[in-house]
Amino acid sequence: MTVRVLIVDDSGFFRRRLAAILSEDPQISVVATASNGQEAFEQVKRHKPDVITMDIEMPVMDGITATRKIMAHTPTPILMLSTWSTEGAKSTLDALDAGAVDYMPKRFEDISNDRDNAHRQLCQRLHHLAKKTAPMKIKTSTVHTPVAKTPAPASIPATRIASQQLRIVVIGTSTGGPVALQKVLSQLPLNFPYPILLVQHMPATFTPSFAERLNKQCQIKIKHAENGDRLIAGTAYLAPGGMQMLLKGSTNQAFIEIQASQSSQTYKPCVDITFDSVAMIYPQQTLAIILTGMGSDGNKSCQKLHELGSKIWAQDEKSSTIYGMPMAIAKSGIADGIYNLNDLGHHLAELS
Amino acid sequence: MAALDSDDEILQDFLVEAEEILEGLNEQLVELETKPEDSELLNAIFRGFHTIKGGAGFLSLDAMVGLCHKCEDLFNLLRQGDRIVDAEMMDTFLKVLDILNTMFDETKAGQFPTAAEPAILNQLGVYLEGGAEPEPEPVVEAPTINIADTATDSEDITDDEFEALLNQLHGSGAPGIETEADAKPAPAEPVAAKSDDDITEAEFEALLDELQGKTPAAKADVPAEPAAEVVAEPKVSPPPPAAKKSEPAAKPAAAAKPAETTVRVDTSRLDDIMNMVGELVLVRNRISTLEAAFEDEEMAKAVNNLAVVTGDLQTAVMKTRMQPIKKVFGRFPRVVRDLARSLKKDINLELRGEETDLDKNLVEALADPLVHLVRNAVDHGVEMPDVREAAGKTRQGLVVLAAAQEGDHILLTISDDGAGMDADILRSKAVEKGMMDEESASRLTDSEAYALIFAPGFSMKAEISDISGRGVGMDVVKTSISKLNGVIDIKSEVGVGTTLSIKVPLTLAIMPTLMVMLGDQIFAFPLVSVNEIFHLDLDKTNIVDGQQTIMVRNKTLPLFYLRKWLASTFNDTGEPRIEHVVIVNVGTQRVGFVVDQLIGQEEVVIKPLGALLQGTKGLAGATITGDGRISLILDFPELMATYAQRGY
Repeated sequence: MTVRVLIVDDSGFFRRRLAAILSEDPQISVVATASNGQEAFEQVKRHKPDVITMDIEMPVMDGITATRKIMAHTPTPILMLSTWSTEGAKSTLDALDAGAVDYMPKRFEDISNDRDNAHRQLCQRLHHLAKKTAPMKIKTSTVHTPVAKTPAPASIPATRIASQQLRIVVIGTSTGGPVALQKVLSQLPLNFPYPILLVQHMPATFTPSFAERLNKQCQIKIKHAENGDRLIAGTAYLAPGGMQMLLKGSTNQAFIEIQASQSSQTYKPCVDITFDSVAMIYPQQTLAIILTGMGSDGNKSCQKLHELGSKIWAQDEKSSTIYGMPMAIAKSGIADGIYNLNDLGHHLAELS
Repeated sequence: MAALDSDDEILQDFLVEAEEILEGLNEQLVELETKPEDSELLNAIFRGFHTIKGGAGFLSLDAMVGLCHKCEDLFNLLRQGDRIVDAEMMDTFLKVLDILNTMFDETKAGQFPTAAEPAILNQLGVYLEGGAEPEPEPVVEAPTINIADTATDSEDITDDEFEALLNQLHGSGAPGIETEADAKPAPAEPVAAKSDDDITEAEFEALLDELQGKTPAAKADVPAEPAAEVVAEPKVSPPPPAAKKSEPAAKPAAAAKPAETTVRVDTSRLDDIMNMVGELVLVRNRISTLEAAFEDEEMAKAVNNLAVVTGDLQTAVMKTRMQPIKKVFGRFPRVVRDLARSLKKDINLELRGEETDLDKNLVEALADPLVHLVRNAVDHGVEMPDVREAAGKTRQGLVVLAAAQEGDHILLTISDDGAGMDADILRSKAVEKGMMDEESASRLTDSEAYALIFAPGFSMKAEISDISGRGVGMDVVKTSISKLNGVIDIKSEVGVGTTLSIKVPLTLAIMPTLMVMLGDQIFAFPLVSVNEIFHLDLDKTNIVDGQQTIMVRNKTLPLFYLRKWLASTFNDTGEPRIEHVVIVNVGTQRVGFVVDQLIGQEEVVIKPLGALLQGTKGLAGATITGDGRISLILDFPELMATYAQRGY
């Protein structure tokens, strides 16, 4: 199936480059281009593209506003092409809030030094996003739900997990993760009794902003993990981008170690690496959750955790932006629970 | 340093866009000085740097990326209101823009741009951090950026990339994760960027040369291949179901159309077309002449049609070569601003008629002279604020640069509300400089006296400044305007201001002329120079100072017999006769020429002179007339300089 793409960018140079790159893929056709958000909105209505590549900084109407407008009227998967800088992080996360599904760097060198490879990745991403059509709509509306103000229901007996046993929650996610994490974590009460490790595939320049943002949106504390951080209940530690986050120490003296990633590692941070290290310390006392994302990172380590006696949850297909990582878990038959995103946070909150 | 492939289409595409943005930034930054908190403007500037950065990043022009990145970040703070622009910051921005322009030129010349000097990046860094004082010894931070050939700015780079970079630099796996200060200070590259705020003449000329010579690509046109590319796509695809293939193929073609509707055409191709249209005009002239002998109504109709179509075609082709004069005007806010700042004057520049279109070649040819004239207005024209105040004027001076189309020519005016020129001072100055004796000086009319400023070696300013006052610029201006068949006129009033008007034809390729006969030869006068034509009883002339003159509405004009200069078959019968006199503007002067016969007006295409006549003084070229004869086109300024006794 040919994927019909709308390119939105105020730079003619960039539009042409992008069109040229996409033309390398015979299964992608650029149906239209737009040089600002307003034009984009009109082009979407006219051409109904399968997927949109969206720039952020544009005259007349910026990419974030356009995304919000498009998602409200003609929901279409949107791939943000942004700058992978600290500033870019902020606006990219805003765009994700507005309903964009995913983001890629405008400088393709940021994904891969091999240009052809980077181009292939871009095309691949568009194919993936284009597949995801109708179910997307349900997500956008609830993104902005404010933090639950009511305290969590007083200790409802945990049905599926013996809470005495549980020591740590680990969550791994990729595409669609920023919005999903926000949704899950914002439902947890201030007195959530376990530490949480978060592994979100994200570039190094994004994770500090993302942690800061989550922290503002949630009752529990969320921090950008640092080397030597000791685990505190009710705190979530976000793995820094470009690095690997490992859990070290002993059951009662666990601390975080941040390691430089190797070029051989595909994901930085990598879910499997973090989860494997967690399995060494809390082999049976871990709840591992895999949320939306492309690929199958986390599958191996979850299998190991499952064998050791820990619990595994996965997001369901319907609510996943990209049903890749959770699908791997489901297919492996190791999931103790498969939940809709809306229920996941609720179930997690019940553990307290 | 590695060379770029300057033929690369992607690079060219980038350059076209970057040039437009840089021109825009130039204006926007100057505008920002008056509206430092205009959020739309700040946004636009932010996007400008952002877009250049994006394109440069695509082409791995890392020096450009690094510099734009800092500016982008800073403008991001500015547009969020976290910082306010101050004068010092403005200076830095304009310096940055100069550096970017230099980088642009380097890129255009096929070189990777030289990294910006660390000081400026450091300065931007200081603004970014919110400090007002630049660090005295900017050593630590700078080196990172000096590596700019391989790396970009720290914020854009992931730590492992940075490490890889360090590895490259050190040859070993240095664990430089902590901070970029770890990097060994790389030797600073020689800084190509100029620190001077002003555009010097040489630079300006170099720029012009480049504009004209190296990249003849149409700059005004926004290129747009996507439409074509989209159509081509399905062809590339492997053979999935044919029916499916053709349908999406048709759609994108139609769909992409509204997006971009321009094509890029090499200007040399436009020049060719213009040439051919020129030939067509000649053929039309020839046929019209032949037709007159036939007296055939059908024939006349056809010839008339041909004339109309040719005329339309000519206009249409000319239009494709037209560019708004904005392209030249755009740089003036900056020129005036910098100049006013260095002279400590307060000047407001007003641009009018920026949308006026004229031939691309003219736009480029006018840039240089206009810069001279505007600088002159700022330097000599407008007084210092205190002086102005004392004279009862506003402290802020006004310089107006205007363009307008008047029939088949363009009128450019540069006016200031400054001190004006005193004709008497000019006269005495001319005597002082030994350019003429006191008597002839006193005979100069005011406008002739003003015209003295165009004489070589004549400078009004007592002190020579950097900016002007060397007395070289103005005669160059006059020469270049004359070359364009332009006419300069000066009006000035002491204490009120000076207005300089320049009249140039719309295009250089096809020239309306007045055809005259001298003996049995036809000559063409550029019509733009022709002021009036009348019959004159040659007895009514006077000899003044050995020069025959005529009185035209109480003005004394020198009178010359062109045939004495140009026609070999001249014999003076000595009889008093009524002759045709053509009054012609030569630069700032008016001169009368006696001709034998007037033929009429004709549009001609200028052809260069053949080898035999090459270099003959006073001839601009040749053309073929309607009756198939060859006519020589006169170049009046040169003609006067060569033949007239007194220099004009």
